[in-house]
Amino acid sequence: MGNRWSGMFWSLLFLAVPVLGVATFAVAPSYDIWLPKDVSEHGRSIDSLFYFILGLTGIVFIVTEVLVFWFLWKYDGARTKAPATFIHGSHALEVVWTIIPAATLLFLAIYQMNTWADVKMRRPRIAPTVEVVARQFEWRLRYPGRDGELGTPDDIFLVNDLHVPVDEDILVQLKSMDVLHSFFLPNLRIKQDAVPGMKIPVWFKATEIGQYDIVCAELCGWGHYKMKGRITVESREDFDRWLAEMEARQEATQPEADATAAEVAAVP
Amino acid sequence: MTASAISLPHGDGHDHHGPDAHGHDAHGHGAGHGHVHLQYQPGLPLSRGKLIMWLFLSTEIMFFAALLGSYVVLRFGAPAWPLPHHVHLSEPIGAFNTFVLICSSVTIVLALEAARANKSELAKIWMLATLLLGTLFLGVKAYEYSAKFSHGIYPWSPRSRVYEKPDLYYGSAVRARLGEPAMIDQLKTLDDTPEGSLSAEQRTGRERLRQIRTMITNPDQQPFDLAVVADQVMPLASGGGHGHGSGLNDVFPWLRLPAVIPGGNMWASTYFLLTGFHAIHVVVGLIVFTILLLYKLDRRTSGMIENAGLYWHFVDLVWIFLFPLLYLF
Amino acid sequence: MSTVQAPHAPSSPAVVTPRTGQSLSTFLSTYVFSKDHKVIGLQFLFSTLLWFLIGGLLALAVRWQIAWPWSQVPVLGKLFAQEGGQMSPEFYTMLFTMHATVMIFLVIIPILAGAFGNFLIPLMIGADDMAFPTLNMLSYWFMWPAFIAFGASFFVEGGAASSGWTSYPPLTTNVASSPGSGWGQTLWLLGLTLVGVSSMLGSVNYMTTIILMRAPGMTMFRLPMTIWAMFITAILQAFALPVLTAAGFMQLTDRLLGTGFFTPEGNVVNNLATSTGGGHPLLWQHLFWFYSHPAVYIMILPAMGMVSDILTTFARKPLFGYRPMVYSIAGIAGLGFIVWGHHMFISGMNPALGITFMVSTMMIALPSAVKTFNWLGTLWGGRIQFTTAMLFAVSFVSMFIIGGLSGIFMAATPVDIFIHDTYFIVAHFHYVLFAGTAMGVWAGIYYWFPKMFGRLMNETWGKVHFFLTFLFLNGTFFTMHILGAVGFPRRLADAYHYETFHHLQPLNAFMTWCAIGMVATQIIFAVNFVWSMFYGPVAGRNPWNANTLEWTAPSPPGHGNFDFQPVVHRGPYEFSVPGCEKDHLMQTDPPDAHSAALAAAH
Ligand code: HEA
Ligand code: HEA
Ligand code: CUA
Ligand SMILES: [Cu+2]
Repeated sequence: MGNRWSGMFWSLLFLAVPVLGVATFAVAPSYDIWLPKDVSEHGRSIDSLFYFILGLTGIVFIVTEVLVFWFLWKYDGARTKAPATFIHGSHALEVVWTIIPAATLLFLAIYQMNTWADVKMRRPRIAPTVEVVARQFEWRLRYPGRDGELGTPDDIFLVNDLHVPVDEDILVQLKSMDVLHSFFLPNLRIKQDAVPGMKIPVWFKATEIGQYDIVCAELCGWGHYKMKGRITVESREDFDRWLAEMEARQEATQPEADATAAEVAAVP
Repeated sequence: MTASAISLPHGDGHDHHGPDAHGHDAHGHGAGHGHVHLQYQPGLPLSRGKLIMWLFLSTEIMFFAALLGSYVVLRFGAPAWPLPHHVHLSEPIGAFNTFVLICSSVTIVLALEAARANKSELAKIWMLATLLLGTLFLGVKAYEYSAKFSHGIYPWSPRSRVYEKPDLYYGSAVRARLGEPAMIDQLKTLDDTPEGSLSAEQRTGRERLRQIRTMITNPDQQPFDLAVVADQVMPLASGGGHGHGSGLNDVFPWLRLPAVIPGGNMWASTYFLLTGFHAIHVVVGLIVFTILLLYKLDRRTSGMIENAGLYWHFVDLVWIFLFPLLYLF
Repeated sequence: MSTVQAPHAPSSPAVVTPRTGQSLSTFLSTYVFSKDHKVIGLQFLFSTLLWFLIGGLLALAVRWQIAWPWSQVPVLGKLFAQEGGQMSPEFYTMLFTMHATVMIFLVIIPILAGAFGNFLIPLMIGADDMAFPTLNMLSYWFMWPAFIAFGASFFVEGGAASSGWTSYPPLTTNVASSPGSGWGQTLWLLGLTLVGVSSMLGSVNYMTTIILMRAPGMTMFRLPMTIWAMFITAILQAFALPVLTAAGFMQLTDRLLGTGFFTPEGNVVNNLATSTGGGHPLLWQHLFWFYSHPAVYIMILPAMGMVSDILTTFARKPLFGYRPMVYSIAGIAGLGFIVWGHHMFISGMNPALGITFMVSTMMIALPSAVKTFNWLGTLWGGRIQFTTAMLFAVSFVSMFIIGGLSGIFMAATPVDIFIHDTYFIVAHFHYVLFAGTAMGVWAGIYYWFPKMFGRLMNETWGKVHFFLTFLFLNGTFFTMHILGAVGFPRRLADAYHYETFHHLQPLNAFMTWCAIGMVATQIIFAVNFVWSMFYGPVAGRNPWNANTLEWTAPSPPGHGNFDFQPVVHRGPYEFSVPGCEKDHLMQTDPPDAHSAALAAAH
C-alpha cells in the first residue's frame, strides 16, 4: 500500500510538529510575545515554575513527538520488508512508564506547594491597604484615610486608578457588588476572582516603579472587555503626596463622594 | 490466545423475549428478513429490564445527591436558618407521611409476591393499596404546601411574605398590607366586635394589633420598633418552642402580615426544591401503578411489578433521607 | 449444550432491505422514526455534522472580531450584527457562548456517543441491536427540541445566551445583569436539560447492551477498545450528568421563580438591589464542574478508543498493552470525578482545597501517560499503512500530547494564577477537543465509512483534507500558547486597548487566516463525504483487513446486523500472528485457523 515517498512525506510532517513547536516558543520572546515584565516579588517563583514546567513538558514533547516521527519513518509498511512484531505488550515497560511520570508529577505537585501557599495562603498580618470593589464595568477603590481604617468617614474613594507604594506589602480586600469579576494584574502575576458576597484578601509586593494594566479576567457582561484599570507603583513619598491630593479633592466634592461612599460601603 | 470451542450458556440466549423486554421490538418475527436469532453471553444474571432499572436508579441517586449536597452547603453556609416550627413544619405530619410511604413499600412487595404466586386478584388489591397510599402521601404533602402558602412562604420571591430582617422594606410591606382596602374593612370589623365575643387570646391580640398600627404609621419609627412588630406578628425569639401559635398571624389567620424569618427564603427555596422533586417522582410512580393496574398482574407481568417496585423503594429511600434532614435537624 | 461454529462469512450481503412498494409510512419507519441502531447512529452523524458546520462558522465570526475588532463582518455581518455590519460586544459574547455550546453539546458529545456509539456498539459486540431500541430512538428525538431551543435562541428578544458555556451566576441568574439575557439563557438551560435526557437514555441503554448482549465468547477482555471506551464513557455520563441536570434546574428556578440558590445576599446590579439572596455563586461552579470535568473525558475517551482500534489495524500489530489501556481508561474516569476543582483555583475557593485538587489533577495525567506510551508502543515495530484514517489517528496521538502537556501548566496552581482565563487555556482545550477528538472523529469517519455506506471514501482527497486541516489547525491553535503566555485574556471582544496586549493584533490576524483556511478545507471533506456515499468504490465486508466483529457483517449491515451467528474466539487485535498466512486473524475465525496454517506450513 502506498509508495515509498508518501510514508516519508507523512513522517516528516509529524516531525515538523516538534520542530516548529519548539521554534515558535524560541522565537516568540524576540517579538515580545512572551510573559510580560514581572514587577512583583512572588512573580519570580511563579515564572520560574512556568519555565521549569516548560522545560519538563518540552522534553516530554520533543521525545514523544520525535518517537512518533521515527516509528512512522522506520516502520513504514511500503519500505520495510520485516514483518510486524507480534507483541502484546511488556509488563516491565508498563511499570517503568508509569513510575517515571508518577514520580515526576508527584515531585512537581510537592515542589509548587510553597509558591501557592505564599501567594494565596500566607497572608501578611497587616491592615488592608485598599479595598477594591468590582462592579459592571469598573473598579471602585477605597483607601482608608489618615486613620488607616476602612469604613470610617475619612475613607478616600476612587475609580479605576489604583496607586500603591513600591517595595511594601500590599493587602487588597477584594469584593464585588454584582456579578463575578476577576482582578488580573498581568505584571504582578496576580489574578483573583471577585465574588459577590465574599471578601477575598489579595496581597503582593511591587518591586518596580511604573504604570501597569488592571484587567478584568472573568466574563461579567457585555462590557467585560473594557473593564480596565491602571495600577501605579510609586515611591512612598509620591504615594503619600498623591493620597493627600486625592483627599483634598474629595473634600471639595463632598456630596458626590458621599453617594459613592454609601454605595460602596453597602456591599457586604 | 485461548482458542477453544465456546459453549453457549444454557439455552437462555433468547432471554430478551422474556417479560421484561417489552422495550425491545421483537423484530425478525415473520418480518421476512430471515436474519439469524443471535445468541448472547450475558455478563450478569439479570434481565435487561432489571439491569436498566438499576442503572437508571443510580443516575437518580446522583441527581438527588446533587440536590441534597446543595442543601447541605446552602444550609451550613447560611448566616441564619429557621427552626422547623418557625416555618410551620410539623414533625408529626412528616412522621405520618414517612409511615405512609413505608407502608406503601410493603404493599408493593406484597403485590409482587401475589403476582409471582399467580394470585392476580390479590396482586391487584395490593397494587391498589400502594396507589392509594402514594396518593395519601401526596395529599398530605399538598396540605403541608398549602399551609406554607397560607403563611406567605413561597419558593419564589415575588409572592413570598417572608423577610430576612426587620428593615425598612419589611416595614413598608407591613404598612402596605395593613393599608389594603379589604384589610381596612376587616380591621374595622375587628375593632367593632364587642369584647365579649372575643377569646382572651383574641382580646390581647387586638390590643397588640392596635399598637402595631400606630407604630407602623408613625413617621419616625425606629428599626427597633420594626423588630417589635416582627416579633408580634411571628415570635421567633420567645423560646421554648411554643412561640409558634401565639403570633398575630395565628390569632387572626386572615391578617397574613409579612413575617420576619431569618434564612426563611433560602429555607423555602431548598424545601420546595427537595420535596418538589421528590413529589414529582411520587407522581411518576403513581402513573406507573395506574398503568400496571390495567394489566393482569400475574407471573408474566411480575417483572414489570418488580421494576416498578424497585423504583418505588428508591422514592421511599429518598424520603427517608429528606424527612430527618428537613423536619428534625 | 451445543458448540457453535461460525461459518465463514458469505461474500454477498444476505440481508437485503425490501425495496419494492415503499410507502411513506415504511419510509418514515425506516429512515426517520427508525429503531435500528445503525439508522439512529447515522441520524446522529448527519445532525452533528451539520451543527459542526454551524459551530465552525460561529468560530469564524469569533476569530474575525479578535483579529479585526469592530470592523465590518463579511457575510455574517448582514445577518446578525449591528449598524454598519459591525458586531456589538454583547453579540461577541453570544458568539463564543453559542460556539462552545454547539461544539460541546451538539457536536462532540453526540457525535461520539450518539453517532459512533450507536453505530458501533451492537456491531462490535455481535448484537442485532441495542437492548432497548425504542429508548434508543427516543434518545435521538430528544435532541431535536434541544436543537430547536439552541437554534431558536439566536432569534429571541435579547439574543442567545451570552454568559459563556460555563454559565456562571450571578450573571446568568440576575436578569438585570446582562441586558440581553431574556429568553436566551432560559432556552440554553432548557436545551442543556434536553441534551442531558438524551445522553441519559443513551448511556443506560449502552451499558445494558454491552453487559448483556455480547456474542458468545466475547468476554469483557476481548472487547475492542472502542467498546471499552464507550462503556466507561456511558458510566461517566450516567453518574456525572444528573448533577448538571439538578444544577440546571436550580439555575432555572433562580431565573424564573426568583429563588436564590446562586445569588448572594445584598447583591446590587445596575443600581438595583436584588430581592433574593442567601445563596452562593461558587455552588454553581462546583456543581457545573462536577459534571463538566468528567464531561471533558466523555469528549475524549471514545475518540481514544477508536484511535486505538485504527492504529492497530494500520500498524498491522496487536495493541500494545491491552489491559493497561483498559485500566487507564477506567483510571481516567475514576480520577475524573475528583479533580473538578482545578477549574476553580482562582475562583475564591479555599486555597487549601486548591492543593488537593492540584494533586489529584497531576495524578490524572498518569493514566493518560500510560495511554500515550502504549500508542507509541503500538506503532513501534509495525508495518504502517498511511491511510487517511491512520493519518488522522496518528495526529490524534501527536496532538493529544500537546493538549495534555499544556494541562500540566494549568494543573500547577501557581502557574494557573497567571494563565487562568487566558488563551493558554483556549489553546489547551482546542488541542484536546479539536486537534484531539475532532481528528479522532475524522479518523473514525474515514475508517467506518465503508461499513456505514458500503463504499469507500476517496483516499487522495481524504489526504488533502488531512494535510490542510493539520496545517491550519496548528497555525490557529499552537500560536494561542504564546498568546496565553502574554496573558491575553479569553472572552474579550477587544483586548488591544490594554497596553500589555496592544501589539498582539498581527498574530491574531494570522490565526484568523488559518482558521478561515481550516473551515474552507472542510468543503473538501463535505464533498468527498457526500460524493462517496453514492459513487465511492464498493467496499466489501472487510476493506481494511481488520479483526473486529463489525467487519464480518455485510457493508452496510442489514436489519439485524449479522447473517450468521458470530462466535468469538480471540481478542480483537491478532495482527501479524507468526506462521499465519494472512496477516490478521478475525475474532470469529475458527480457533484452529491459526494452527491449521501452522500445520500447512510444516
Ligand atoms: C477533551 C477534553 C479535555 C481533556 C482530555 C483535558 C485534559 C486535561 N486537562 Fe483540561 N480542559 C478542557 C478539556 C480537556 N482537558 C476544557 C474544555 C477546559 C476549559 C473549560 C473552560 O474554562 O471553558 C479545560 C481546562 C483545564 C484546566 C483549568 C484551567 C483554567 O481554567 O485555569 C485545567 C487545570 O488543571 C486542566 C487540566 C487538564 C489536565 C491535567 C488534563 C490531563 O488529562 C492531560 C493528561 C495528558 C498528558 C499529560 C499528556 C500525555 C502524557 C505524557 C506524554 C506523559 C508524560 C507527561 C508528564 C510527565 C508531564 N484543564
Ligand atoms: C469541541 C469543541 C470545540 C471545537 C471543535 C472548537 C473549534 C474551534 N474553535 Fe472553539 N471553543 C470551544 C470549543 C470548541 N471550539 C469552547 C468550549 C470555547 C470556550 C467558550 C467560552 O469561553 O465560553 C471555545 C472558544 C473559542 C475561542 C475563544 C473565544 C474567546 O474566548 O473570546 C476561539 C477563538 O479563536 C475559538 C476558535 C475556534 C476555532 C477557530 C475552531 C475551529 O477548529 C473550527 C473548525 C470548524 C470546522 C472545521 C467545521 C467543520 C465542518 C464540518 C466538518 C462539516 C462538514 C459538513 C458535512 C459533511 C455536511 N473557540
Ligand atoms: Cu468585570 Cu469582566
Ligand atoms: Cu477539567
